[in-house]
Amino acid sequence: MQRFLDPAVLARISGLDLIAKTVVDGFVAGLHRSPDFGFSQEFAEYRAYSPGDDLRHVDWNVFARTERAYLKRYRGETNSLLTILLDASSSMNFSSHSVSKIDYARFVAASLFYLAIQNQRDAAGLIVFDDEVRNYIRPSTRYGQLHRLLSGLEHAEPRARTDFAKPLHHFQQFLRRRGLVLILSDFYEPPENVIRTVEPLRFHGNEVVLFHVLDPRELEPQLGEPVVLVDSETSRRMEVTPEYAHNDYRQKIGAHIEDLRSRARGAGMDYFLLRTDHPLDGALAEYLTIRQERN
Amino acid sequence: MGFLAPWFFAGAAALAVPLYLHLLRRHTSNPQPFSSLMFFEPRTQSSIRHRRLRYLLLLALRLALLALLVLAFADPFVNRPAATVSTNKLLALVIDDSFSMRAGSRLADAKRQALSVLTSKASSERAQVFALGSGLEAMSQPTDDSRALQAAISAIQPTDARGNFGDLARGLRSFSDSVRGPIDLHFFSDMQKSEMPANFADLALPAKVSLTLHPVASSTVANWAVESVNAPGQVWNVKKARVQAVIAGYETPAATRTVSLQVNGKTVATQKVQVPANGRATVEFNSLNVPYGFSRCAVRIDSADSLPADDISYFAVDRSDPQQVLFLHQASDKRSPIYFGAALAASAESAFAMESVSADQASSVQLPKYAFVVISDVPSLPSSFENDLARYVRGGGGVLIAAGTSMARASWIPLFNAKVLAANYYSNGPAGFLTVGDVDPSHPSIAKAGRWSDVRFYYALQIDGTGSQIAARLSDGTPLLLDKKIGEGRVLFLASGLGNITNDFPLHPDFVPFVEQTAFYLSGFERPGGSQVVGSFLQLRTAKERAVSVEVVDPQGRRPLSLQQATTAQTYQLNEAGFYEVRLANGRQDVVGVNADRRESDLAVMSPDALSLWAGKPGGRNSSAAAQLASSSTSVPQKFDAHSLWWYVMLLVFLTAIVESWVANLHLGVRREES
Repeated sequence: MQRFLDPAVLARISGLDLIAKTVVDGFVAGLHRSPDFGFSQEFAEYRAYSPGDDLRHVDWNVFARTERAYLKRYRGETNSLLTILLDASSSMNFSSHSVSKIDYARFVAASLFYLAIQNQRDAAGLIVFDDEVRNYIRPSTRYGQLHRLLSGLEHAEPRARTDFAKPLHHFQQFLRRRGLVLILSDFYEPPENVIRTVEPLRFHGNEVVLFHVLDPRELEPQLGEPVVLVDSETSRRMEVTPEYAHNDYRQKIGAHIEDLRSRARGAGMDYFLLRTDHPLDGALAEYLTIRQERN
Repeated sequence: MGFLAPWFFAGAAALAVPLYLHLLRRHTSNPQPFSSLMFFEPRTQSSIRHRRLRYLLLLALRLALLALLVLAFADPFVNRPAATVSTNKLLALVIDDSFSMRAGSRLADAKRQALSVLTSKASSERAQVFALGSGLEAMSQPTDDSRALQAAISAIQPTDARGNFGDLARGLRSFSDSVRGPIDLHFFSDMQKSEMPANFADLALPAKVSLTLHPVASSTVANWAVESVNAPGQVWNVKKARVQAVIAGYETPAATRTVSLQVNGKTVATQKVQVPANGRATVEFNSLNVPYGFSRCAVRIDSADSLPADDISYFAVDRSDPQQVLFLHQASDKRSPIYFGAALAASAESAFAMESVSADQASSVQLPKYAFVVISDVPSLPSSFENDLARYVRGGGGVLIAAGTSMARASWIPLFNAKVLAANYYSNGPAGFLTVGDVDPSHPSIAKAGRWSDVRFYYALQIDGTGSQIAARLSDGTPLLLDKKIGEGRVLFLASGLGNITNDFPLHPDFVPFVEQTAFYLSGFERPGGSQVVGSFLQLRTAKERAVSVEVVDPQGRRPLSLQQATTAQTYQLNEAGFYEVRLANGRQDVVGVNADRRESDLAVMSPDALSLWAGKPGGRNSSAAAQLASSSTSVPQKFDAHSLWWYVMLLVFLTAIVESWVANLHLGVRREES
């Protein structure tokens, strides 16, 4: 099954729903059965209906007797709100092999959506941004939400440049309810800017997780001769020597990652580095562990 | 070493292109996209030196490729002395198989000598066998296989063809163009003098051909032969047929020879003739009693010489009944049938029998049985007869219309369909007559009849000659003899009469050949002589007779024509002496007697001086011939062979291109990996 979690293999599967199902089912089937992961259908409690809840879960018998809408909750449901912020800037389009960063981020996001909606009945939403908010799908557990989310992921084509500060204001108005906020980005910003921009989400009681998506060539560039590199976001050109790429660059990107990781931890966020040549199970395992701990 | 096309060295300027691309042009690497340059710093490093070293091999290969390509176009060659290419020498064995080689054991001697030359050749040396008859014929391919060469020599058989040493020289000149090395030519022949070309210079061989002569006859041999036979091809009256034969002796003493006439294998007459020393005698047989149809005849002598093949001469004779000719005249006209009938009987070997009919009896005649019709001064014809006559002409019949004074009253010439313009009575003129002005000597009626220059015409009917061929005119321009083709037939119009009233033509010697040729022309029946010479061509069909099968049976009873040739061949070359049976495209059967060219019967050999001169050893007494050959042989440069290096250079170009592609692909592969 591990073979199917290889990003290169997943890239050959058409349709994010099938990819997500393959990843989640395959991954979950490989785990030992655990009631905390929300598979149980044992009744737990009633909860008052709030706008946005799926009407299918309303207990109509109770409504008939009391004229108040209550939702039936089952064991395993966490009632958390999952929002994924997907960076769709041009730099996410970079790839040195068959899977680009944006594809990898799509796979991760689709798998998490599938896990949240199909397995745990969590409400899930999506915000696609670059230097603006390009797409917003309100978190919901309604029927068809998963399809809408996956469609939103598929239409998230990289363009423009990343700017966390500008769409932050929009994030605030969208994320009124507390929940889990996952940010999938390559974070080509100074770490202090990233943390400073994202930190207000944490202050609102959200649990924030940073998924740092990088291509292996971004971590370890291989240059045989001096070449001219073109920035995919700014179109800026720069002649780069192999010596610099082998030594100085690696030190700088390593320092950047460490800085971002430490600052995120310091701000109460979780940070994960995702290499696009690594299987998805690592990212999913980290995510589910966090969910388990939070619940 | 030299170059055949040195101007292609101008292409060396193309060497500047790779130099510019590799060294002078500013390096422009393809920009590579990267996600972000956030952690990069601009570092400019001059890498020209590195690049030069890296692509030095590729540059060298590309320069070499271009230089070799230019060299190949310049076509280099090296001059090698002829001695160094002697390994390519070809041994050519030419054996004369002409008719004269039948004498004695000449051909066997020639083949034996050729075999001895063949056994003395080196095993790796290539050789080719030729036969010289009517032309130079290759009997084998160039090979070093002695067995194949011996078989080719053994396969040579004597022929009836006439040889010509000029054909040998001409054939070798074209053959030597296809052979790269020198040719060692050995010629085995009786060196017959009559086979020499008219011009001695025609014997000149190419410079790279060295000739060795192998005469198989050292001296002249006496030989009698039936040189020629004059016999008719068609016989109507066997009592009138004559056969004349000329008996020739070459280098012979005076002798009496017995000459016999054979018909279908049986001797029907024998005569003795005294042949003078080295001279000729004529024998005449006064009758040729052959049966109806084709007969195979021959004149034979008892010579007992070394060449018996020329002691017999073949000819074929076709016997048939005389053809009927209808002569139509006015009842009062008694002269013209007498003159015309006498002329017809005196000529044409009694091929025609004339039937004289007056015009008022014309309605009762059956036209199809007549070979042709003569209408002598008949102004009007019965309408039914005129219609039958027109149908007869359109179906292929022939008519001669002679206009006497009776036709002067007519305004229209029946059958000929021409308007009468005037009746000219020249007897009233100052001279009292007119003579012939222009004649067309190519017209069949006139070809053998002279120019009618002394014939006096006192009267001529002038008609409109539009649409007809005018074969003769009077001196005042009046058409005298007109020829018109109507349908498949033909009508001749003589503007004067056939009696001796309107002209004195019947009394003139030209009248008989005119009547004879006109008879054969209008009847369309004239068989050529029944004998041909070996090497001559027989016409099988005309251009119009396509897709009609013909058939030829040679003297050995074989059918030499393939099915395709039988439907397409227009001529056939007669290669053997004897009788050929032929079915022509027009359906006629024919038998042709074929005899060898009698120039082959003269067995006199070439003089030793001429032989040594031909073999390239001048010094004989014939200084003018020596000068001819000397001039023809010294005009050709010799001693060096230009050996082209083009193929070797192109091979290098090919190898260099492969290596260059491989090296260039390596660099491209590195680039792809880096990108």
